[in-house]
Amino acid sequence: MSAYAGSFAVSCVARDRKEVDTLQREARLNRFFADVEKRALRIAEISIRDRDDALDLVQDSMIKLARNYAGRPDAEWTPLFYRILQNRIRDWQRRQAVRNRVMVFVGRGKEDDDYDPIATAPDPAGRAPDEELQNQEAMRGLESAISELPGRQREAFMLRTFEGMDVAGTAAAMGCSEGSVKTHYSRAVHSLRETLGEHWQ
Amino acid sequence: MNERDDIAVDDVFATRAKALFDESVDGLDGETRSRLNRGRQKALAEAATGGFRWMPWAPAGGLAAAAVIAVVIFTGNPQFAELAVPEVATDMEILLTEDSLEMIEDLEFYSWIDFDAEASDNEGPANNVG
Repeated sequence: MSAYAGSFAVSCVARDRKEVDTLQREARLNRFFADVEKRALRIAEISIRDRDDALDLVQDSMIKLARNYAGRPDAEWTPLFYRILQNRIRDWQRRQAVRNRVMVFVGRGKEDDDYDPIATAPDPAGRAPDEELQNQEAMRGLESAISELPGRQREAFMLRTFEGMDVAGTAAAMGCSEGSVKTHYSRAVHSLRETLGEHWQ
Repeated sequence: MNERDDIAVDDVFATRAKALFDESVDGLDGETRSRLNRGRQKALAEAATGGFRWMPWAPAGGLAAAAVIAVVIFTGNPQFAELAVPEVATDMEILLTEDSLEMIEDLEFYSWIDFDAEASDNEGPANNVG
């Protein structure tokens, strides 16, 4: 076999390996998104109280992660993804506040103020109507209380409690220290307990 | 209630909140799940193709939109003249800078990736994300 043929064979093997690596990474990314997307949607929805816009924010975040950070180690995807999503949420809230100011001034209010994500959700499966109603009512109260929290407390609570991230991962996602995460989380829980009262649980 | 009791109550609260949250996640309707799935496929397609496309018309589009909205607001509401100009200018700037923000974001990313290429793969997550 000539030197040229040998070099060609090595080149083909390297290219095939690269293609396999890319396909494997896409498969892992697909599994990651499939695992995280529904919780991310609900977290975004609770933050901005609008499912359609929450869907857009989650999709934008997935695209951003896939486009820019898919090559990062898999273990970093969760904090990176939530860092992107939280930035999108904050940006949305900032724009919405300004938009509302302008709309009020121009004379048009928000049309869908009565949006209720719980009321629009279907029956998940098989529970007694009373229990389901009770849980929906409890979740509605929780969502309302969460939406009243300061932004950083809300982020810390949802990432720690709903997404199940540890303190280090939450700190990476929020772009702050682990100590700040602990403080925000503790204040959030106490505030929520106080708002919802003893009987909520 | 002592500190240990308080922590225990916090844990019970968090467990209950998590259970309710999970139930609401499980209860997402088919249409929403389908839209999530489509969004995921789009993201994966972006990853496969590299995704970044420079849109040279974006700044011009932003300026055109700004002009149209400014004309509509200024001509449609006489009270507008009474509003402080700096506040209006700031609001409009925030509302209309989506394209340029995205461009700046991507430029920051490319700066970051140049720097990151030289750094070790074992570094923690990048700070300037999203």
